[in-house]
Amino acid sequence: MTFGEPSRRSLLALSGAYISSGFLSVLPAQTQQRPFQFGLTPVFLTNDVELLTKLSAYLSRAISLDVQLVQRRTYEEITSLLLSGQLDAAWICGFPLAQYLQKLTVVAVPLWRNKPLYQSYLIVPTERNAANIDDLRGDIHAFSDPNSNSGYLVTTALLAERKLRPDQFFKKIIFTYGHRNVVRAVASGLAQSGSVDGYVWDVMSELEPELTSRTKIIRKSEELGFPPVACLRSQISSDTVKRIQAALVGMRDDPEGKDVLKLLRLDGFAEEPDSLFDTIVAKMQLVKGLGT
Amino acid sequence: MSSRLANIFRGSWPLSFKVPLFVAILMLIVSAAISDRVLSRLGRTQELQLQQLASTYLDGLSSSLLPSVVRDDVWEVFDTLDQSKTQYQGVNVRWTVVADRDDNVIAGSNPVQFPSQSKLPQKYSSGFPSGQFMSIDKVVGTALLHRPLTYQGKEIGQIVAEIDISGLLAERSNVFWTLVGTNTLLTLLLGLVGFVVVRRMLKPVAILAEHFEVVSQGSMTAIESETISKQSLEFRKLFNRFNELILAIEERETLATQLAEEEKVASLGRLASGMAHEINNPLGGMFNALDALKNHGTNLDVRSRSIRLLDSGLRGIRDLVRSTLTSYRTDRSHRNLTPNDLDDLRLLIKPEARERGLELDWNVDQFEATSIGAVPVRDAVLNLLINACRASARGGEVGFSARLEDEMFVADISDSGTGLPANIREYIERKGAGSAPLDNRSGLGLWIVKRLCDEMNGALSVVRSAESGTIIRLRVSPKVMEKRDAA
Repeated sequence: MTFGEPSRRSLLALSGAYISSGFLSVLPAQTQQRPFQFGLTPVFLTNDVELLTKLSAYLSRAISLDVQLVQRRTYEEITSLLLSGQLDAAWICGFPLAQYLQKLTVVAVPLWRNKPLYQSYLIVPTERNAANIDDLRGDIHAFSDPNSNSGYLVTTALLAERKLRPDQFFKKIIFTYGHRNVVRAVASGLAQSGSVDGYVWDVMSELEPELTSRTKIIRKSEELGFPPVACLRSQISSDTVKRIQAALVGMRDDPEGKDVLKLLRLDGFAEEPDSLFDTIVAKMQLVKGLGT
Repeated sequence: MSSRLANIFRGSWPLSFKVPLFVAILMLIVSAAISDRVLSRLGRTQELQLQQLASTYLDGLSSSLLPSVVRDDVWEVFDTLDQSKTQYQGVNVRWTVVADRDDNVIAGSNPVQFPSQSKLPQKYSSGFPSGQFMSIDKVVGTALLHRPLTYQGKEIGQIVAEIDISGLLAERSNVFWTLVGTNTLLTLLLGLVGFVVVRRMLKPVAILAEHFEVVSQGSMTAIESETISKQSLEFRKLFNRFNELILAIEERETLATQLAEEEKVASLGRLASGMAHEINNPLGGMFNALDALKNHGTNLDVRSRSIRLLDSGLRGIRDLVRSTLTSYRTDRSHRNLTPNDLDDLRLLIKPEARERGLELDWNVDQFEATSIGAVPVRDAVLNLLINACRASARGGEVGFSARLEDEMFVADISDSGTGLPANIREYIERKGAGSAPLDNRSGLGLWIVKRLCDEMNGALSVVRSAESGTIIRLRVSPKVMEKRDAA
């Protein structure tokens, strides 16, 4: 799905930028410039039209270029588009970044509770008597996405520490392709346990307490790098990426940006080094070592 | 029940009750038939709508679920079922479950009830006979749906769903009770209207029945002209005919009374003639005795024999005169019946018997005085004796016996005639027949006896009626007489 046909405001902003920079003679050519392709994985509230509209509007205005938001069902699809250059930048998960660190780099990392970190939660139905992952053996377990850090890798790594693969430990695993869906699966009883993004679960407990109240957290992981906005390493120095980086980092200082952050329940974006995701890389190595 | 109902319609229930009851029963039958048709039609319509709704639901689900079932995608199957809850709210689905071809549950709308990877219960997996996709359980209020999932001609799974149809059943129940309520109300209303209308229509019949009842009790009252004028044409005619009938009866009775008076006068004539004869008979002897006294009065023997004859003749005349006076004096005040009264009867009937050459068999030895009134009993017995004399052939015998049985006066009057005609026998024994004479063949004597009997509240019965003769019995109770006198 794509959003953000050139709005009047963005066109005016774009025109103003060109006039001020003295490029009047090339204006017709510049208006033909390709819109900025910004990929979104099925992160929190992806179906919120208001959020997507505001995010697109803010970024378009901030970088003086039309920004098209590109959504796909799985992390893999977005990652492939990013790696193939069809996206200029994408909000992906730490796990795909760790997988392709040679090709991808961090543009900016969201700040949640003023830190670029989050946790993975293991959740079970409220009435269930389980204390740790060992109690979940033989479950139908809900994962978010096979390329999700919090919704797959963290739990898989935990099992890898026990020399086990998910298909060996659990009776059946389900991929719901959305953290909210993991909560739904566990709350409804479809799955007896699930791995979910801690940030998503916490925000959902504010917005949909009747859903999260039917689940309980039995394990929180260590803090890990928050799903970042990444781009091809080769593009990190490009003007448009720099502008999108500036727009993201400056979002907390902009009224329109603040609205977007408020909808996302985030405090802002920050430039962070790739090393923020070393722990995820380590988990990935652990899992790979087991041959998963 | 049916025989009881039949008894109501045959029996003595009033017409003003029977007709509305019949209308109400008809209404009940009609309303039951209509209700049955309406409910059965409603049931068929509801079932058809439910089938269409269920088919739409299953068709929609099948197309959405097929790719997920092919991939055995638990989450997608569940998500599709979960979202269908809002899409198909009108279907009232309780639960839906999707299983593979080996009856393993892929996912259900209620995973707690049907956990993934569990076996689908046998009762849901076997489907329904003869290609049906829906089975309705009216007791529980649910409909079970079953639809195989086919991909490229191969069955890869199945959808089983349970629909809550209690709303439809409740609607049907509401319609049923509304029909029952409305029909009951209408039946009651129409029954009431029928009761009032029929009662109003039958009111003239009731008036007529009342007047006939009065007639049967011996008195006759014509229907008032004001009442007649209020009736419909048919009943006006009927009431006028009734009044004409009453008039005719009254005229006939008046005529009969006149005839009776004439008969009485004639009887008096016959009695006077008989008396004259009875007086004349001893008179001859007495004059002979007187002549003997005149001519041979000095002869002691002749004198004493003549005086005895005179004495005997005068006594006979005196007794006859006394009994006549007793029977026909105008003073009708109450006087108890005594053996003398019965002896008087013998004296009174003797001339008639003698004239016809009949023997009198008189047996009143067992009779004693009683509190029964003498006059009507004597009149009745005398008339019966006269009839007996007339019925007997010359040379025959007329019998009379009287006795008390449990204080009741019982008298048997016998003749040596050829028996009573059937209509006269019926007339004699019919209670209340004294209101009118039978016909001109019966004579007025019998009618007078019946009237006296009614007056005394006595009873006449035929003990014997044969070619050898007839015995008629008169029974009079003293208590009844006392009551009548007291009144």
